[in-house]
Amino acid sequence: MKKYSIYCLLIFVTLVSSCGKDNYEEPTSTLTGRIVYQGEPLQLKGSNQSVRIQLFQEGYDFRSPLDVFVGQDGSFSAKLFDGHYKLVTRDGNGPWLNTRDTTEVELRGSTSVDLEVTPYFTISNPSISLNGSVMNTSFTINQIVDASQIDRVILLLNTTTFVDEVSNIVRSEFSGDDVRVGEMALDVDFSDNAKAVNAKALFGRICVWPSGSDQGIFSEVVRLK
Amino acid sequence: MNRKTFYIAALTCTLLVNGCSNFLEQKPDTILPGDEVYEDPNLIKSVLANFYERLSRGLKPNTTDQYYDWGQRAGGDLYNYTTIDEAIKYDFDQVNSFDRNRWRVYDYEIVRNINQFLQGLNETTVLSETEKAPLIGEARLIRAWYYFNMCRSLGGMPLVGDEVFDYQPGDDVSALQIPRATEAETYDYIINECHTIAGLMSDQRTTNSARANKWTAKMLEARAALYAASLAKYNSQMASPIQTTGREVGIEASQSNSYYQQALDAATEVIEQSPYVLQDKHPDDKARNFYEAVSIKDGNTEVIWARDYIFPGQTHGFTTGNLPASLAQDANTSYLSVLLNLVEEFEPINTETPGVGSKFDVGALNGTPKFFETVNELFQQRDPRLGGTVIFPGALFGSSEVIYQAGQLNLENGQWVKREGAANSHDAQGNLITSVNGPVFNSALRLVNKTGFGIRKFLDETPGAGTIGRGSEVWEPRFRIAEAYLIAAEAAFELNGGSNAVALANINAVRARAGVQPLTMLTFENIVHERRVEFAFEDHRYWDMLRWRRAHLTWTGEQRNEKAGRRGLWAYRVVAPGSSENGKWAFEEKNMNFIYPNPLYFELRHYYSELDNSWLNNNPKLVRNPYQ
Repeated sequence: MKKYSIYCLLIFVTLVSSCGKDNYEEPTSTLTGRIVYQGEPLQLKGSNQSVRIQLFQEGYDFRSPLDVFVGQDGSFSAKLFDGHYKLVTRDGNGPWLNTRDTTEVELRGSTSVDLEVTPYFTISNPSISLNGSVMNTSFTINQIVDASQIDRVILLLNTTTFVDEVSNIVRSEFSGDDVRVGEMALDVDFSDNAKAVNAKALFGRICVWPSGSDQGIFSEVVRLK
Repeated sequence: MNRKTFYIAALTCTLLVNGCSNFLEQKPDTILPGDEVYEDPNLIKSVLANFYERLSRGLKPNTTDQYYDWGQRAGGDLYNYTTIDEAIKYDFDQVNSFDRNRWRVYDYEIVRNINQFLQGLNETTVLSETEKAPLIGEARLIRAWYYFNMCRSLGGMPLVGDEVFDYQPGDDVSALQIPRATEAETYDYIINECHTIAGLMSDQRTTNSARANKWTAKMLEARAALYAASLAKYNSQMASPIQTTGREVGIEASQSNSYYQQALDAATEVIEQSPYVLQDKHPDDKARNFYEAVSIKDGNTEVIWARDYIFPGQTHGFTTGNLPASLAQDANTSYLSVLLNLVEEFEPINTETPGVGSKFDVGALNGTPKFFETVNELFQQRDPRLGGTVIFPGALFGSSEVIYQAGQLNLENGQWVKREGAANSHDAQGNLITSVNGPVFNSALRLVNKTGFGIRKFLDETPGAGTIGRGSEVWEPRFRIAEAYLIAAEAAFELNGGSNAVALANINAVRARAGVQPLTMLTFENIVHERRVEFAFEDHRYWDMLRWRRAHLTWTGEQRNEKAGRRGLWAYRVVAPGSSENGKWAFEEKNMNFIYPNPLYFELRHYYSELDNSWLNNNPKLVRNPYQ
C-alpha cells in the first residue's frame, strides 16, 4: 500500500510538473489609432473587413504584412509585441489618394497613432432626420482632391449601429445631376419598405462614393428612432 | 526456469541469424526512376495522363487533401455554381461578398513536372520525332492552359519557360526567384505557345474529345487573345483602371486591337478548317438538340476539348446532387436551383427585339393574375436553349414530367388566395398543394428546390447515373465550336462595329442553331446576352464579367437592383371548382432573399485574386496585386 501511494505521488508530480508552458508570452502592447484628415477621424465602412491598413516589421524573414481592420469610425487597434513598425494603407483601399506613405511607429507598451490620409471628399454639417417615413438629409460635400468626381450619393438606414452599403435596410442612390459638390439636401421616402417603417430603432448615414474608389466616404452614424 | 532461458536464447539466436537475409533490400515497385519511364512509350503516355488528371483534380502544393477548383465544372464542388447570378443552393447562405481567391490556381509543380516530361521526351530514343511531336504539343498545351487559368485570376505571373530548375543545399536561391511577368507578357506567352504547338499536333478529332489536338490549341489561343483584348480595352475605360506600376496587372489600351485581330484569326481558322460543326441533329426539337450538343458525348460534333468521365472509376456526382426530388435515385437531390435572373435572359422566340432577354409577363397574384392553360407554355415560347439548360415546371426529364408547384391558387370571396404547404402535400380532395420537388418557402429545408427551376445541363439521363455508387459519366466541355463563333463575332464587332458582316454571320450561326431569330445589327449587349445564355454553367459568365469590367456595375449589392438580387418564379395551380380558371396556372416572381439575404456585391478588389503571403515570403520579387 505504501509502495502504491509512492507510485501515485510520483505520477502526480510528473503530471503537475509537465504542465509548464514552452510558448512565447502573448503580446501585451496595444497599438491604437485613427485614420484622420486634418485631425478629424474619417467615417468609413466597418463591416466585411473592407478597410484595412497594413503593419510591417522589418528584420524578420517574413515580408508579409499584418492586416489591421479599420472600424466604421476610422479607428483601429492591434495587440502586438514591442518593436518598430511601419504603418501603410492598403493598395487602392479606402476613399483617399493612394499615396501609401509610411508612418513609422515605435511601440512600447501602448501607443496611439494618427494615420493622415487625403480623402477625395469630406462630408461636413451632416443633418439627418425622420419625418414619418421620409428620411430628410442635408449636408455639404467638400472637394479635397481636385480631379475627383462624385460617382453617387447613397442614403442609408439600418436597424443597428452598423450602417454601410452592405449593412442596411434602406439604400437609396442618387447620381448624375442630382449630386454635386457643395450644399445638398436629399430625401428618401421608404413608406413602401415595411421593415424600415416598423423598425423599433433606426440609424442613418450618408455616403458619398467617389468614382473609381473602392470605398465610400460616410457621415457619422446618427440614431433617428 | 533454466530450460525457459534456454528456449528464449535459442529463439533469439534463430531470429538474429534469420534477420541477416537481405529481404528488406528490395527495389521499390511503386516508384520508377525517370530514366526508366522514358524508355517505355506506355509509361510516357501515363505521365501525360497524370497531367490531364491534375487539370481537374490537382492537389494544392504541400497538401494531401486540398484540391484546386479550376472554376465551375460538373465534376467539381457544386457550390461553385452558386456564387454568381445563375443558381443558388437549397439552404440558407448569408454570403455577402465574392471570394476573390476562390478560383485562383498557383501550381508551379505541374509546370516543373511538364518541363521534366518535355526534357525526358526530348532525350528518349524509343519514340520517333513524329511520334513525339503530338505528345510535346499536348504537354505544352496543358501548361498553357494552366498559365491561362492562373492569369485570369491573378494577372501576370512568373514565366519559367522550359527550364527545369535544380537546387542543391547551399545554392543561391535568388536565381530561382523569378519576378512576375506583365499581364500582357503572360497572355502573349500563352498565345505564342498555342500558335507554335498547333503545328505539332494532330488535326483529327480525339475520343470523347478528352485529349487535346490542334484545334484545342487554336481555341485556347483565341480565348486568351480575346481575354487580353477586352482587358486592354475595358480596364482602361474605368474611372481608375486596375493596374500595378509594373503592369503585372493592367494591359495598355493600345494593344487591344492587335489582340482582337489574333482572336479573330484563330477562331476563324477553327471555324473554317476544323472537323467540328455546330451540332444540329434535331432541327424539330431545338431544346433537345442543344442539350445533346453540350451534355451528350456520343456522336458529338461540337465539343473540341473536355474533361471526360468513364464508369467505373472516373465518374462524378453532379447528377446525384441535382436530380429533382421526384426522380432522385439516392439520398441527395435538388442541390442547385436555377435563378429567374438567368431564365428570363432567354429571349422569346417571337420577339421584336431579338438578342436581349425579357421578363415574364405574369400579372400580380394578389391583384389580377394572368392565367395560363399549361404550366410550361411560358417557357416553351422562349429561346429553345432554355429547355436544354434548365428544367422548368412541366418539362420532361427522360420520359418523366417534372412538376415544380409552389402551391394552389384558391378563390375565396371573389379574391385569389395562395395556399402553400410542405413539400408533397395534398388537400382534403387529394389535389396537390406543393410538389415534392418544391419550390418551398423554407430557408433551412434541404433537398428541395427553391426557385421553381432545376438544372438540366450536364444532368445525366443514363439509368443509375444518379446513384452515389455509380455516378455520372457526363463530360465537362472546356471548348466547343460555338465559342469559336462567338469569339469571332465579338472580335469582329470590336474591330469593325455592329454592322460588320463577319460579326453578324458568326453570331447568327450560333443563333440559327439555337432556334432564335437572326440579328441584323449587333450591339455589345447582344454579345453579353448571347454568351450568357449559350454558355450558362460552363465557367464563362464570371470571367466574362471580369474581363469586360462589368462585374462591379452589375452586381452592386443593392437590394433594389434586380440583377444583383436573386429571384425565382413560382408556379401555382388554380384549384377553384366552378371557376372558368380552374386547372389553369398562375405565376409569381419570388425574391430569394429569404434564403440568400444579401445581393451579389462585387467590389473593385475582387477583380484579381490575392497573392498568398507564403508565396510572397518565398519569393520577395513578387509584387502584390491591387487592393492587397
